[in-house]
Amino acid sequence: MTVTTESRTVELDPHRFVPGTRPGFSSTLRAEWIKFWSVRSTTWSTVMLFVLGAGLTALICAASAGWLASADADESPLSFVTWGMMFAQITAVVLGALMVTAEYGTGMIRATLAATPRRGPVLAAKGLVLAGTLVVVGTATAFAGYLAGNWFLDREGIGVALSDEGVVRALFGSGLYLAGLGLFAMAVGLLLRHTAAALSVVLALVFVVGNMAFLLPGTWGDWVTKVLPGNAGGVVTQAVPFEGQLLSPWTGFAVFAAEVLTLLTIGYLVFQRRDA
Amino acid sequence: MISVSGLTKKYGDKVAVDDISFTVATGRVTGFLGPNGAGKSTTMRMALGLDRPTAGSVTVNGRRYQDSPAPLREVGALLEAKALHPGRSARDHLRWLAASNRIPTSRVDEVLELVGLEAVAGTRVGKFSLGMGQRLGIAVALLGDPPVVVLDEPVNGLDPEGIRWVRTLARQLAAEGRTVFISSHLMSEMALTADHLVVIGRGKILADCSMRDFIADHAASYVQVRSPQHAQVADLLRGAGADVTPVDDTLHVSGLDASAVGELVGDKGLYLHELTLVRSSLEDAFMTLTSASVEYSARARTDQAGALR
Repeated sequence: MTVTTESRTVELDPHRFVPGTRPGFSSTLRAEWIKFWSVRSTTWSTVMLFVLGAGLTALICAASAGWLASADADESPLSFVTWGMMFAQITAVVLGALMVTAEYGTGMIRATLAATPRRGPVLAAKGLVLAGTLVVVGTATAFAGYLAGNWFLDREGIGVALSDEGVVRALFGSGLYLAGLGLFAMAVGLLLRHTAAALSVVLALVFVVGNMAFLLPGTWGDWVTKVLPGNAGGVVTQAVPFEGQLLSPWTGFAVFAAEVLTLLTIGYLVFQRRDA
Repeated sequence: MISVSGLTKKYGDKVAVDDISFTVATGRVTGFLGPNGAGKSTTMRMALGLDRPTAGSVTVNGRRYQDSPAPLREVGALLEAKALHPGRSARDHLRWLAASNRIPTSRVDEVLELVGLEAVAGTRVGKFSLGMGQRLGIAVALLGDPPVVVLDEPVNGLDPEGIRWVRTLARQLAAEGRTVFISSHLMSEMALTADHLVVIGRGKILADCSMRDFIADHAASYVQVRSPQHAQVADLLRGAGADVTPVDDTLHVSGLDASAVGELVGDKGLYLHELTLVRSSLEDAFMTLTSASVEYSARARTDQAGALR
């Protein structure tokens, strides 16, 4: 057995590569952007978002145009031009949850925090990449769905113009709502650190609990229904809501945004304290 | 340089790391040796600011890891081979890491070549073997060309050729003046790689010494001699400057090698019935040192295992 001799020491300045300024927030943001787009689940989810959001809107408009134009119609065509966005929500939830649970599931979170030990900026970068993508893709999807769906409505003479009240708000609102929902799922993911658990909780809260709440009796029941995240935030995505008794679009969205921010803050505080 | 001082980590009532202090010096390979569950990985995670110490501190180049403006350029770490997203390619994994610390993208291809993964740079890492994952982990550690390199169990899953590669690499990094800190549960591997040794068991430091001292203290070798002229041989060897300890009807001789003992005795015309070089292996020394602190020990039930086969 050879005993290696003590090697001679070369003085390396430990800070020699470190530039004068910290790799700032833009570096963290760029890293998260590369991470986000270098896995297939992102591409799949955004494609699904578009297919569901725009495709189902076109489909429901094509199927219902005749009925909507008839005398039996008891719904406004305005309610239908963003109909598919209800289903696009699912993909936003998936993207948001995976943003953090995929890292905990694979152990990647350690690589992330070893590269950027300050956790606040990591979370902010993740949130920006997610919300930015969802706003852009969500709004584009809503516009595409409107254009496609409206083509069928137009043929029946009940076309909806962009200038009609609430239409533009609903289209941009769709993007904003999806971004908020993604952030909501990300915050839940941060607390639960488990993909299946986070998805179940958020989807159940938005789709199941949100709808069942309508059965709650009394004034308090009405209020619970109004402030549940899916119900409060969803109104902004519809030019004319299907449900009449919810909050007004921007009031609802403000309530929803406050809920998202609260949950993100809790998630951040837990993230800050917890071992990676 | 890494300085660990009074470092403690508790998980509830369980003490994973118990008030340990040591330094990892520049320009040499320091081996961090201990059985599984001894607290090696926990210590390394705390050094990287991933886990929060219950008490004490650990600094790298004089400051906490978290306070480094660009940690990947100061400390390169291989934590677990699987700290990767299986759906991302090796190059993309290195690209985001480089971006996060403003390391030029050209460095990504450099390290891929350095670890021999350039041909599979675009392959999703989920398809990598354990050894390839380990190589990618080492590429990550070297990405920022850091003066301090921390490798947690780097030879896990590597084939003999890969093990030798890691060993050479570690020695080379130390020769370049870097601080190299390697954990392992294999004494034999450390004996070939490390200059300095920190042994940990059940969260406590059991030894902190140079590899040479460790060998001298724990893997002493001696010559076992048996002779009908017991006393005469003992006196003769003592006269020649050897250290002689009588054990039962044998003599344990150190300070002279077997051939010297044989020649001395032969010159005097004395008889020898046994002349054996006895060497306890480093592995044995390590086992003895840590046996009291092994967390999960398997009871020896060889007879049953044999029956199953």
